Amino acid sequence: MTTVDVASRLDIEDLSRSFGETKALRSATLRVAPGEIHSLAGENGSGKSTLIKILSGVLRPDSGTLTWEGDVKRHLTSPSGAQAMGISTVFQETLFAPEMTVRDNIFLGTDGLFRYGRRKGAELDTARQALSGLGLDGLDVDRPMWMLSLAERQLVTIARAIVRPWRLLVLDESTSALDAQQRDRLFDYLRQARSEGKSVLFTSHRMDEVLGLADRITVLRQGTTVTTLAVGEASRRGILGHMSGRADTAGIVSAAPAPRREEGRPRDAAGTLVLHTEELTLRPSSQPISLEVRAGEILGLAGLEGQGQVEFVECLSGLRKPVSGQLAAFGANGTAHPVRSYGGANRLGIRYVPRDRRHEGLFGPLSVFDNFAVTLWGDFNRFGLLRRQQVKKRFADFAESSRLVSASPGRAISTLSGGNQQKILLGRWIAMRPRVLVVNDPLRGVDANTKEELYGLFRRLAADGVAIIYLSTEITELLTLTDQVAVFHEGSVVAMLPSQTSSDTDVVAAMFGDEHHANPQRPGTHQAGAGG
Amino acid sequence: MTDSTPVAATDGPPETSRAARQPVGGYPGNLTAVVAANFTRALPCILVPVLFILSVIFIPGYFSKASIISLLILASLLGLSSLGQTMTIIAGGIDLSIPAVIGLSDIIVTQLYYQRWSLPVIFLAIAALAILIGTISAVASVLLRVHSLITTFGMSLIVSGVALEWSNGATSGAVPGWLTSSVSAIGKTGPVPVPAIIFVWAVASVLAVFFMNRTRLGRETYALGANAVAARLATVRSTWVQIVVFSISALCAALVGIFFAGYSGIPDPTVGEPYFFLTITAVMIGGTSLLGGRGGYLRTVTGALIVAELTTLLVGVGFNASFQELALGILVILLTSSYGRELKVAAKI
Repeated sequence: MTTVDVASRLDIEDLSRSFGETKALRSATLRVAPGEIHSLAGENGSGKSTLIKILSGVLRPDSGTLTWEGDVKRHLTSPSGAQAMGISTVFQETLFAPEMTVRDNIFLGTDGLFRYGRRKGAELDTARQALSGLGLDGLDVDRPMWMLSLAERQLVTIARAIVRPWRLLVLDESTSALDAQQRDRLFDYLRQARSEGKSVLFTSHRMDEVLGLADRITVLRQGTTVTTLAVGEASRRGILGHMSGRADTAGIVSAAPAPRREEGRPRDAAGTLVLHTEELTLRPSSQPISLEVRAGEILGLAGLEGQGQVEFVECLSGLRKPVSGQLAAFGANGTAHPVRSYGGANRLGIRYVPRDRRHEGLFGPLSVFDNFAVTLWGDFNRFGLLRRQQVKKRFADFAESSRLVSASPGRAISTLSGGNQQKILLGRWIAMRPRVLVVNDPLRGVDANTKEELYGLFRRLAADGVAIIYLSTEITELLTLTDQVAVFHEGSVVAMLPSQTSSDTDVVAAMFGDEHHANPQRPGTHQAGAGG
Repeated sequence: MTDSTPVAATDGPPETSRAARQPVGGYPGNLTAVVAANFTRALPCILVPVLFILSVIFIPGYFSKASIISLLILASLLGLSSLGQTMTIIAGGIDLSIPAVIGLSDIIVTQLYYQRWSLPVIFLAIAALAILIGTISAVASVLLRVHSLITTFGMSLIVSGVALEWSNGATSGAVPGWLTSSVSAIGKTGPVPVPAIIFVWAVASVLAVFFMNRTRLGRETYALGANAVAARLATVRSTWVQIVVFSISALCAALVGIFFAGYSGIPDPTVGEPYFFLTITAVMIGGTSLLGGRGGYLRTVTGALIVAELTTLLVGVGFNASFQELALGILVILLTSSYGRELKVAAKI
């Protein structure tokens, strides 16, 4: 093993990749040396997963170069091509064939590499060796995968990657299901591999793992490499600052004032209670959530992918049953009603706007008006016959208040831009005069101008006394629009941050479960906090 | 929808830039695409008179009241049996039990009338049975979470089993004379020299179009077929919609069975068999998408007319039944592939 600079194992220069109009990767630069454990850090949507998919041959980049052990390539041909070159990848989702045995899962797709003749004996040894290296010594390799625990499945998918001859192992959030002991065992294995001159590239949403394991850390922000730091010169705060884009070179955070929510709305602290969760538990192992939502309040929900915020909005809207705990909505006269089902939530005035516009929201073949009106017919009919004039009036009102241009009601919804489609979907529920509006990442793929218009719409709704639960993956958006942000980590709310006085870095820190920085009341961690 | 609204008709900036970036195949920027889409939509309406004129040209003496009435009787039988089918298909399902229900209804009328039951009782019993059949198919596909393709196919086997068992050996039956004349080319409706079935079809068509466009359930039918997941989230009453459309479909099939009983006068449990494919053919040729959410009963009316005309034309010029099916098959493929194109234009945006 030689020191870092002599030869690069992997050298990525200025890689970019777009999906339609979304630039997932703008300019990614990454250098992984032999005998190095390298961490890739970044928020949701910073391009980590896209970069990893390019590395594993799943996606092709639009531009940029990729140099593998001195060999310049425009792209990798295929996942098996990447494997043959020596890049083994463990993806974020644990992918496996549930009905097949552990052994067959480990060797799935290797028929070209291992001859049939070798299978039984040598294969069994290789599988057992790999599993015991990961701490699964006693695991019966002839068990079907579905009988295994979540952690065991995750380790088996890692075993599948390491039985291949690899020189670069890519781990994308591969420790999420492991307990501390299993994780330490995995890290020991990785350190051992490093001492043999192999390279590891990993992502993790736990900051202690990043700092504890990596030699160097490359930070991505909005598809661009911001910096690469050696672990010695990196601080927790510095990395978080780089990720959120609020750091100077010394790693000291300057909480630049972001444009805040306008003060025009009467901040009615004593708005009536409309929604209340008591000891609501999302996952068997997570901390219960107790919070209150008042009329006119906009509550933001933040968190890295899969930290429970989506389960939470699904519980609020009656689509999912919590593991335990109570959820109650309060009627106009103040009586509490438990939320038990989606229909029940709707009757209580809780309206849910789903995340996936195309699959969960739009009626593709139908007109703009039909898409808008479908939920209103329940209230606007006489013996089942439509009262069209009244609904047309609501449509006209909504079109005016949301500045819905270019949408004659008879037009097919599919001819509208994403932003206008989203307006119609919101309008469907706003026209129902909700008490609580639960929105799941509503502005994904919406252009900047429409976003501004929709912010205005949400603010007006809140001013009219609607409580809004607002899940978003964009931190700046949350801080601009909401009154406070509940940050989710591993199924629990780890911080409630007042939007007025919190910085992007505070939110990012909480997202990574970083308790030192999650609490804005703590002195010295947060400049703007004093002003609140 | 042609309603006037206060909404500005001009395209906003995002739309304009989109059209500028996608000059080829863009809608509504591209004139050719618009014309093509509207042409395919109008195609069935053009085919109806074209096929009629071809019949007049190629079949000597075709242009007569008797042949036009015969054509309309044929179209009415098909149109009525495709009415419920159109709704189940728009709701995202399909009804394969139509032929079986036609057969059962035919048996019930001929047998029970032969046994001197009173007609209102017979009709009420048939209606109740049809609603039961439709409800079971719908509820089964909701509860068991299987496509109605499967539940109605199972229902079809059950119903034709019952019909066969019931009619076992029976060769004699009876129907009232007015029922026979209601489907006869020389039949009269009161003083009007047109058989009643044609009026029944006309009234049913108006009701069906009204139901689909002006009632809450009708609009919910479109929503369910367009996107079942979104429909659930939009609080559409999915189960209720399915119970209603499958009951309507069974009721229509039962009605056609009653007319068939009048047509032949003898019990025949297999009388509905051709309607297995014919109803779907009429729906598809009319332009209702098998994918659900698109189309309407007026389109099926033209579809039924086209199928009736084409069959008459081919028989008239001397082709046999197998050639008729071949011709219908070609027409289905040609027409629906052009509708498919219309779809893609919309999906491109």
